[in-house]
Amino acid sequence: MAHVTGLLPPLRLASPTATRELVLFAAILIVGAGFSLASPYFLTVVNLVQTLRAGLELAIVSAGMTLVIIMGGIDVSVGGIMAVSAILIGKSYQAGLSSWFVVPIGLASGTLLGAWNGFLTTKLRVPPIIATLGSMYIFSAIMFLVIGGAWISGLPGTLSPLVNGKVVGIPASLLVILAVYGLCWVLLRQLPYGRHLYAIGSSEQSAKLVGINVDRTKIAAYAILGLLAGFAALLYVARLRNVEINIGTTVALEAIAATILGGTSIRGGVGSLLGTLLGVVFIRIVQNGLVLIGVSSLWETVIIGGLLIVVLTADALGNRNNQRGA
Amino acid sequence: MTSSATGARTIGSFVDRLQGDPLQARLLLLLGLWVVSLVAMSLLSPYFLQARTVPYLLQYIPILGLLGLGQTLVILAGGPGIDLSVGSIVSLVGVFTGALVAAGIGVWPASAAGILLGAGLGFVNGFLVNVLRIPSLMATLATMFAFGGLALASTGGRPIGGFPEEFGWLGQGTTFGMPNAFLFVLLPVALVLHVMLTRTVTGRHIVACGNDDRAAHLAGLNVARIRVGLYMLSGVLAAVGSVISLSWFLAARPDAGRGMELLSVTIAVLGGTHIFGGTGGIPGTIVAILIVTTLQIGLQLANISAAWQLGLIGVLLIASVSTTGVFRRLRGMGS
Repeated sequence: MAHVTGLLPPLRLASPTATRELVLFAAILIVGAGFSLASPYFLTVVNLVQTLRAGLELAIVSAGMTLVIIMGGIDVSVGGIMAVSAILIGKSYQAGLSSWFVVPIGLASGTLLGAWNGFLTTKLRVPPIIATLGSMYIFSAIMFLVIGGAWISGLPGTLSPLVNGKVVGIPASLLVILAVYGLCWVLLRQLPYGRHLYAIGSSEQSAKLVGINVDRTKIAAYAILGLLAGFAALLYVARLRNVEINIGTTVALEAIAATILGGTSIRGGVGSLLGTLLGVVFIRIVQNGLVLIGVSSLWETVIIGGLLIVVLTADALGNRNNQRGA
Repeated sequence: MTSSATGARTIGSFVDRLQGDPLQARLLLLLGLWVVSLVAMSLLSPYFLQARTVPYLLQYIPILGLLGLGQTLVILAGGPGIDLSVGSIVSLVGVFTGALVAAGIGVWPASAAGILLGAGLGFVNGFLVNVLRIPSLMATLATMFAFGGLALASTGGRPIGGFPEEFGWLGQGTTFGMPNAFLFVLLPVALVLHVMLTRTVTGRHIVACGNDDRAAHLAGLNVARIRVGLYMLSGVLAAVGSVISLSWFLAARPDAGRGMELLSVTIAVLGGTHIFGGTGGIPGTIVAILIVTTLQIGLQLANISAAWQLGLIGVLLIASVSTTGVFRRLRGMGS
């Protein structure tokens, strides 16, 4: 303890991620202001609602990704889960099933594929990154084999109101996002399950010693992420009414980036849903703004990758200083 | 351990004996697996078991092989280390070299500059992971996007051509029926790395870092420097692979390395390198490259959808990591 004089702990804001959330919020305002000066289309209702709809799937997947990363895991196969679920959804619609059957099919397939990842990392003890990389290959193989290089198109739009609708003037997609984040917040902060996730992320060994069923908690977390990916697939189909071959290719990286940007520690044990949501908003605003000011969309990956490096470096330097101070 | 063991104990002791030298056992297993895949592929396709298949196979090996070797060393040195950016380094170095050639610089000096860039990119990875202590997965995932995105964005996604025909010597030419890239690049590199790893002090240091980095540190090794060096080596090998790819296609595609990072990890892990470091070696990696390439080419010749190749690689990746765990548990039961 270097703080010989300080019997009180050093002053800090309410939560370890609060600073990050404030910084991110300020960054969103600054970047948003910059873009609205650069392009007259940026700060229009049409553009913002469009951005919101396009970011719906990312927001939902990122909520699940936050749970998994807080637990000390990671899942790079969410894009594959989304793709396989979307294909099942599309094929079910084509087989003439009504939405009453299609929705459970989509959610169940996502949950099962997520649980499969959980099984690999817990029961077979494959490190999560390797397990989910392998799953990603397998899921894309399934997708290519089923879809055969062609789109599934002309799907019914029975679920489209979830994306395009409005409830008392508020876009339905915003309500969907708030509902998902609200539920995840209750799960993470109000129920014992959430505390278990934090505990496992902080120290798996200690979590085991206090009697948490680590394997079951982990499998459940991956399954929840899968469920949300399945839900995202439903919304994808509702939004576009077809299934394209490139579905979900970037969602895993973007979700991880949003989560890390939002202050969740890649080592687990620390993180917040609010931060993730702000991370999603930031990423989407940057992407949207760049397109509006005429920068090639090819630069998006560079910017997200670069941003990740900057944030990771800042985190690392922060950790170092903390360790020296302690 | 008693000799009159039954059930799990028997299996356990068998596995134990097999694990007496785990690398040797793994190598035998892999060679067996390769023979199986050769037989399977020749059953699938009548074209597979022909004399001209061998050089064809060897043509495909060098690029992936170099990446796999670099990946093996990075993973072997522990940490846990991994380099997910190798594919993007292949793309970026290719585009950079292509741009230099297009600007009128000779193709060999341009290649040398490309390899230097590879070392620099590897240093970035090594620095992020070992000096700033960002988890390797995250750091190299970020650089994978940054490097790969840079390759795509700087060219607008268009390939760069204009390489002279004689540059094809490395990637297209053959000597004694063997592809030059295999004979003059991959083989010597693999030999040098194998000797370095098994016969030199540096090699022992690398393994020591992977086994227990605290012990290595206390023994006076500069663990961070060794690991940064290996990331740089991985970057250099990826850059050399990129030059071979340029010479093969006589064009720099900005997405030339896409998907190679996962393949290289699959190869290293399938080859018996423990994902958390400490055990592994070059021979296993080489046989793993042969297996993966055999499967790819065999399925291609048999005209089976590329999707099956993807799926197969995924299964191989998961299986090769989880079997090491299963072996361990069986051994635990036996003792």
